[in-house]
Amino acid sequence: MSNHLKSNVIPPSRQREAPRAGMTWIGQSMKRVEDPRILSGKGGYIDDIAVPGMAHAAMVSSPHAHARIVSIDTSKAEKLPGVIGVYTGEDMARVVDPCPSFASPPITQNAMSVGKVRHVGEVVAAVVAEDRYVAEDAAELVEMEWDILPACVDLEASAAATGEAVLHPDDRDGNVALDESFSFGDVDEHFDEAHTIVKRRLRWRRSSAQAIETCGVVAQFDPFKGGYTIHSNSNFYNFIPFVIGGSLRVSPGELRIIPVLTGGSFGSKVFSHKIIILTAGLARLAGVPVKYIEDRLEHFTNSDSHGSDRLYDAELAVTEDGTFTSLRFTVMDDYGAYLQFGVGTHGNAMAQVTGPYQIQSFGMRVMAVLTNKTQQGPYRGFGSEVTNWVMERMVDAAAEELGRDPVELRVQNMIQPDQFPYMIPTGNIYDSGNFQKVLSEAQTMFDFDGWRDKARAMRAEGRCVGVGLATCMERSVYGPTEWWSLNNKETPGFTLTSTPEGITVRLDPSGKMFVTLNSPMVGNSPETVVAQILAERLTIAPEDIVFNYSDSQSGFNGVGPQGSRFTAMIAGACVSASIKLEEKLKRFGAHMLQRRPEDVELRNGTVAVKGLKDQEKPFGEIALTSSFFRLSFPDGEEFDSGIETTAVYDHPLSTDPAEDRSHLGIFYPIVGHICHIVAVEVDAGTGKVEILDYAAVHDNGTMVNPRTLAGQVWGGTANGIGTTLSEVFNYDDEGQFTNPNFAEFAMPTANEMPRNFKLGHVETPSPFTEYGIKGGGEGGRLGAPSALTSAIEDALSDRGVKITSLPVTPPILRGLIRTAEQTAAE
Amino acid sequence: MTKVSFQLTVNGRVREASVPPRMLLSDFIRHELAMPGTHVGCEHGVCGSCNVMLDGKAVRSCLMFAIQAEGSEITTVEGLATGDDLHPIQQAFWEEHGLQCGFCTPGMLATAQELLAENSDPTDDEIREAISGNLCRCTGYEFVISAIRSASVKLRAAQAETTLQPV
Amino acid sequence: MKPSAFRYERPTDLQAALALLATGGDARILAGGQSLVPMMNYRLAQPACLIDINRVSDLDYIREDGDVIAIGALARHGAIKSSDLIKAHLPIVAEAYDWIAHAAVRNRGTLCGNLCHADAASEMPAIMQILEAELVLAKVGTTRTVAATEFFVGTYETAIAEDEMLTEVRIRKPAAGTGWGFEEVAMRRGDYAWCTVVATLEISDGNIVAPRIAIAGVNDCAARLGTVEGALTGKKPDASLFADVAATAAEAATPTENAAYKRDLIRALLPRVLNDAVERAG
Ligand SMILES: Cc1cc2nc3c(=O)[nH]c(=O)nc-3n(C[C@H](O)[C@H](O)[C@H](O)COP(=O)(O)OP(=O)(O)OC[C@H]3O[C@@H](n4cnc5c(N)ncnc54)[C@H](O)[C@@H]3O)c2cc1C
Ligand code: FES
Ligand code: FES
Repeated sequence: MSNHLKSNVIPPSRQREAPRAGMTWIGQSMKRVEDPRILSGKGGYIDDIAVPGMAHAAMVSSPHAHARIVSIDTSKAEKLPGVIGVYTGEDMARVVDPCPSFASPPITQNAMSVGKVRHVGEVVAAVVAEDRYVAEDAAELVEMEWDILPACVDLEASAAATGEAVLHPDDRDGNVALDESFSFGDVDEHFDEAHTIVKRRLRWRRSSAQAIETCGVVAQFDPFKGGYTIHSNSNFYNFIPFVIGGSLRVSPGELRIIPVLTGGSFGSKVFSHKIIILTAGLARLAGVPVKYIEDRLEHFTNSDSHGSDRLYDAELAVTEDGTFTSLRFTVMDDYGAYLQFGVGTHGNAMAQVTGPYQIQSFGMRVMAVLTNKTQQGPYRGFGSEVTNWVMERMVDAAAEELGRDPVELRVQNMIQPDQFPYMIPTGNIYDSGNFQKVLSEAQTMFDFDGWRDKARAMRAEGRCVGVGLATCMERSVYGPTEWWSLNNKETPGFTLTSTPEGITVRLDPSGKMFVTLNSPMVGNSPETVVAQILAERLTIAPEDIVFNYSDSQSGFNGVGPQGSRFTAMIAGACVSASIKLEEKLKRFGAHMLQRRPEDVELRNGTVAVKGLKDQEKPFGEIALTSSFFRLSFPDGEEFDSGIETTAVYDHPLSTDPAEDRSHLGIFYPIVGHICHIVAVEVDAGTGKVEILDYAAVHDNGTMVNPRTLAGQVWGGTANGIGTTLSEVFNYDDEGQFTNPNFAEFAMPTANEMPRNFKLGHVETPSPFTEYGIKGGGEGGRLGAPSALTSAIEDALSDRGVKITSLPVTPPILRGLIRTAEQTAAE
Repeated sequence: MTKVSFQLTVNGRVREASVPPRMLLSDFIRHELAMPGTHVGCEHGVCGSCNVMLDGKAVRSCLMFAIQAEGSEITTVEGLATGDDLHPIQQAFWEEHGLQCGFCTPGMLATAQELLAENSDPTDDEIREAISGNLCRCTGYEFVISAIRSASVKLRAAQAETTLQPV
Repeated sequence: MKPSAFRYERPTDLQAALALLATGGDARILAGGQSLVPMMNYRLAQPACLIDINRVSDLDYIREDGDVIAIGALARHGAIKSSDLIKAHLPIVAEAYDWIAHAAVRNRGTLCGNLCHADAASEMPAIMQILEAELVLAKVGTTRTVAATEFFVGTYETAIAEDEMLTEVRIRKPAAGTGWGFEEVAMRRGDYAWCTVVATLEISDGNIVAPRIAIAGVNDCAARLGTVEGALTGKKPDASLFADVAATAAEAATPTENAAYKRDLIRALLPRVLNDAVERAG
């Protein structure tokens, strides 16, 4: 192990339940608990919420990318019948403070702009009216005068911009909001000693999750209690009061945030804090409850959830025999106009930046550049989707430069099964894995050698057919140090280290088990997962469990479904709760059976005497007796009425970053591994790519529910296919966002998906989580872009086309082919 | 705002309406009739989450005005199940994991209903083509296709049963 | 994204519709609503009055009128796509519909509305031009007929006057043995075309006769490729000839955006379309 990692000691495992053969519920593709209500239209999404007296908001949005607000005239709008009030950023500033920022030092962002706008779609005024139609009528009547400022659109140009083109002159001198360099291990030495240094300039352009449901809020202000009641489809509702209480000028306890079923997130609704502050502020100003649901245009232009937009200058140091020794890069990232969580997406990427390979050192310079675009937010992969692609591109480039087979070169450098837990240069560990097995299963499933021969033969006939393979990491169970570990070490900001997940479990006197969750359902399967785990651990039937969700006042710790954490984390909470419940059940049950607690066990939903068949008490009877018949039990606190418990599970394995940032500590250690293989045919004349065959093998540790996991993989792969082939946000030179709609931002339809997608699983359980579960919510998007890019490059290998930028839409790909044709002709 | 008054049938029930002519059918169903099962994802006709059955055809409810449905029969997702019994298509979506967040699902169900009414035994490609006007960001469509395939089997089985019954 | 207010009229016969149209005052016809309503939701269109023709049931037809197929203003895309008459005589129309929107949109959208909307990237304007369709335009008191080749003037611009309505599309059945080809590149199937190339032709004594070719999605509106038609007439189908005319067509194109790519698409698609048409002819 490299010296710089010596201080990063791996804590002992806190696993209590090891995976075992023959589990009853874990591993079953049980039908989801959540579905019947959703299927019958009774899910209860944000726009389904109505509260008495509720009014509706519509926004006046900036048509300019960068401009000073000279004047706002709301008088005509105010006069429109049905309008309750029209409010500007200055009105808003009377009741709310700027949005929270994890960037350090922070960058000021107001939920409604004050003085100046920094991207198209930024809200400058809002109308609250009796209905949304009237609100939009009035919004059209608001008259604005602008003083246009130069728009920063290009990443590199913006980094160099000065004067009027600086976005936040009060917070930063220029548009580079953060510029930090890191060296983990002997980077310089490895590069000095390298036989070959592979260099590539790689570009990844922005898109975003665009869940089919947009963000929305229903907010009420109670002037007498001084607090707010807020329905929101944020993923983070039990955490967010602490983040936004300051902005709303109330203590977190005065914020009651009520979750709703969420129509998809993929990261995009992780925070949603701006829309909550905005709507809450309007409710306070207007004195009525206010509903604000973003329309699609607003979701595109103002939802603060754009994805990564990066330019890499990357170098891979390779020895003569093809061993990778070091990776380094400079990365510039176009964060848009604000920096809500600093460079958390690069912090995230540090979890697995060296991929599945044994690379001894890693160095990086990261620059966060501000431009006049909507700011970045999370999107499935949270930055690691890009570094996965960069790593795989570099490996393919190395193979080409060394004249090596790309798969063989991967195998040569892969971490071996006996090397786990394996610490990578940044300090994160990979808990477990068997990458070779995943690879070989994928190759078999795909008939990799057969396909390669076939593709070669087809190319010989003049067709552009190619095969691509990617071996990528899927880190899961995130630790929050990623948010701040790359901030300047002198000013790290809010150095959060907790990501607890809690659960409350109560045995109702009727025998039903009531479970309260503290994170919302966003399309994952929280209830199903919990039902399967509790059923397993407590020997009960899943259908005897009833679910509900806390609100932020009644609830407990919960960080939400993101960073592929929820399943593993809630499993931990379920085990903690089960241990406590078991203890209680045994205590009460043993008393009822006139035995000692150590003589009884849990058996099929009963407390039963060990070794005796008919000596048992059903949980229902125990719950009933313990709830209603106090005198049946002895005095003493241990027999206090009712069978209920609350439990919290903290991150299973994390350490602090080194103070000097020589490493970043362990923060994302539960790693899955994925191998995607794809065959494509490119229509060289049009640049259209057709996917001929696709196989993916994922290792996400112990599978709780193989079918829901498969759903995540497919969904993620669809996202990855879109990211690679069709999805990109276009901005013109003035900073106008030119395709913010579903017609031109082309997300794949069923027609664009592969026809014969094959999915396989390897199960390498984690030694650190309960039952060995790993997360699996992001893998598809973490693997598909790399495999597809390789396949396209392979298909065009005879024409010398190199792919260094995503997406490759047909016009872009055709452009690359055209250039190659012209070069060949010359 | 001047309102227009009219009647239409929604899920078998005659409903009276009095709304401004510009009210979109999607808003009418969701907010006036308080049937929130029909979802709105884009309001420009692309995502299909607002699809409902109008006189036996799947249509975008965000691209119609409520008044245009005067005298028509509309079926929304709320009209599919019989009491507590899910419709065979809903049942198939449940069994095959044809939904994740469920936001696109009511539109998918309307599309599936129309497809299976016209083609009781569609191929996978026909299913794909039929649902290609419904965006789903969660599932990657694979299990939606399995669900519709399975629904077609269920519906054909149910059909066979009814035809076999003595009259 | 909600439409602004408008007056709503719903005539049940053509004359009433035309009368309403004649009163002027920013009235728009509402047919399928599949182009107009999205624009209204975005408030890109804010008509003062909508004349909903969906109850003018007399206009809902696809019929044979001697050697002409007549399609009424209320004939929906979906009905046309699945019409046996259309499949038998105008297979290119039925096939092209696979590339136009999706089933639910086709259930409402109309051919006439599509032509009047005149999106430059729309397929049917090109197809109507090679089929030499005649468009019947009615207003109070008079009716005129305009050839499809004369109808499309520019992006969203047609020869129709404000008080006129397109009531019928008339298409002469193509001669027996007419071959046809259709190719499109769009980001996704169902999206508006980046480039559509369509052609019909006959083969007589091994030579190309009466070629009609049009493109859409490239120039400011769909257009026939007269020069190419001329260059093909009387020639033997031949790969290098097709490549040559495609290159000429590509050069002659005046793309409104992404010119190099659009020209590449013409070069790639035109020979494919001609090959298909030749193969189908006979
Ligand atoms: C998701 C989606 C995808 C689509 N994809 C495509 C595609 O790939 N290719 C394509 O071509 N189209 C596409 N469309 C548009 C679709 O074909 C529309 O149906 C068509 O463009 C308009 O027809 P309509 O009947 O809906 O007309 P409307 O929307 O009702 O009207 C359109 C315009 O024409 C006028 N108008 C309508 N009928 C008449 C008439 N008889 N006389 C005079 N004026 C009239 C209206 O006043 C309005 O200005 C798509 C639409 C959607 C929502
Ligand atoms: S909301 Fe109607 S199609 Fe998207
Ligand atoms: S299930 Fe979420 S959009 Fe389809």
